[in-house]
Amino acid sequence: MKIPPVVRLVVRNFAATLDPITLLVMFGQPAFLIVILGTMFNQLIPSVGASGSYVAYLVPGMIASQMITGAVLAGRIFWLDRRWAMVEQIFSGPFLRAEYLAALLLTALLFSLVGVGIMVLVALPLIGVTPLSAFEILGILGTIALGSLFFGGLLIAIGGRIRSANLYFTIQSLLQYFLIFISTVYYPVTAKTPFVLRAIVYANPLTYAANTVRDAFTHSFGPGDLVAAAILTGLAAVTFSLAVLSFRTLEMGPVQ
Amino acid sequence: MIRTNELGFAYSPERFAVRGLTFSVHRGEVFGLLGRNGAGKTTTVRLLTTLLPPTEGEAFLFDTPLRQAGRAERRRLGVVLQSESLDFVSVERNLTLYAFLWGVPREVAKSRAEEMLEMFELEPVRERKPWGLSGGERRRFQVARELMHDMELLFLDEPTVGLDALTRRRILDYLGSRARDGLSIVFTTHILQEADQLCDRIGVLQAGRIRAMGPPSEIKRHYRGARAVEAEFERSLSEVERAELGRLLAARGTGLAILSNDRGVLTFRATNAEDLVAELSRWAHAADLDLVRISVRETTLEEAFVTLVSEDATDDPATPEGPT
Repeated sequence: MKIPPVVRLVVRNFAATLDPITLLVMFGQPAFLIVILGTMFNQLIPSVGASGSYVAYLVPGMIASQMITGAVLAGRIFWLDRRWAMVEQIFSGPFLRAEYLAALLLTALLFSLVGVGIMVLVALPLIGVTPLSAFEILGILGTIALGSLFFGGLLIAIGGRIRSANLYFTIQSLLQYFLIFISTVYYPVTAKTPFVLRAIVYANPLTYAANTVRDAFTHSFGPGDLVAAAILTGLAAVTFSLAVLSFRTLEMGPVQ
Repeated sequence: MIRTNELGFAYSPERFAVRGLTFSVHRGEVFGLLGRNGAGKTTTVRLLTTLLPPTEGEAFLFDTPLRQAGRAERRRLGVVLQSESLDFVSVERNLTLYAFLWGVPREVAKSRAEEMLEMFELEPVRERKPWGLSGGERRRFQVARELMHDMELLFLDEPTVGLDALTRRRILDYLGSRARDGLSIVFTTHILQEADQLCDRIGVLQAGRIRAMGPPSEIKRHYRGARAVEAEFERSLSEVERAELGRLLAARGTGLAILSNDRGVLTFRATNAEDLVAELSRWAHAADLDLVRISVRETTLEEAFVTLVSEDATDDPATPEGPT
């Protein structure tokens, strides 16, 4: 059976990148946060809105943040491929640039979905089984897909323009922490939240993703989630276009 | 396999990397691109492997215009780039993973990996990650990995950098045998012995242009420059004889450099070495001296290259020249 080039590239991305340490760091950290942060803050925070307990509030946020985990992996693969000349090697082979880009984004999406599964499993003992409708599951997966596309596209677009590993990974870390901490992943935004912070939080696409996943968990999908999906779709289209542009003008050759 | 006509690549209208490249590579031929660092060898390889778009001229890769060449043409290529490329898995897994990328069936990939590990002496390091290998091992790994899939035309950009002489010869012999089986090879190097050993034809690149092209023997003949002569007489020459001989060679020789003249053995270099050998024989006969041995060392490609590059340093680089 002939395997399509994109699938071959995705398999290669996983096979070449996933070692136990990487997996532990990428999935272990959010899982650790669910368990430790969730348990500890649960004692301090009696309830958070419709979610009820703090840990029940935190879990959907951590699930939504998996879109960043997948995107970070895709950005890392792309950067390492540039650093170790695999981009050139692949482009001189039977692949199109579009296929390589598609494979990176697909890798980000699949990795994010694996992350979602792991977070759900880790959260089970803490919040129990949350029965979700097919529509709610679809809503979560769609949000994760759009978010992966957005963050993946963003990191790939940045990675294609930068020729220094230090700079790339610094930007990636800053972006990752900025996006996660200035969002509704860990804490809600209320009327008491300072206006400036509130504005920044709502300028962050992860906020919309976290809110949508949370609404799915609390069975409270509403018009706000449609708006969130539209915003995420628009932003994903923008960053995807930037990634395509970055690929079209990608300068190959040594990077440091 | 490849035809180029005035092919060129410029970073800007004033700054070209290669220009006016006109050559062809035929099936089963090993074509060498020879040149100093920065001569344009790697750019030429990048152009012909579709990694860079040409900015002038035209070229055909398997009869397809280079600008339109895509997956179908690249599927028939093998490319060992100058920059080392690797995946973060073991050497053996790198080989099989690369074969997978190229759609090589698993069983074929497995047996080919064994063959390559043995051929390129990578058996002892098969479980190691490539970045933990020595420079020579990594280079062998690069070539071995590319040979995991089938191809009709193989580009090798300085494949033997950092290899010891024995390994280099082994790899060149192997590539030579693949060429005899019909594989076409475009080979860039600045190690001239390699080009001499492996290539059917070579193109000498300088400052982005082909300065000479032809079989190594023709290049050597055309640009041979000074050659070394060693003459051994039946006995040591007297002071008077040495002085007389020195005067004779100085008068008749061009580009003469006497390297040694001691204990009956005279060594010198001259561009008209054959003429001086005749003069030397006549002088010895007249002096009633027997010449035990006289030899003219054949020009190496390196000497021809140095001559060519030195000549060209002062030439107008507009027109390719030399044997074609």
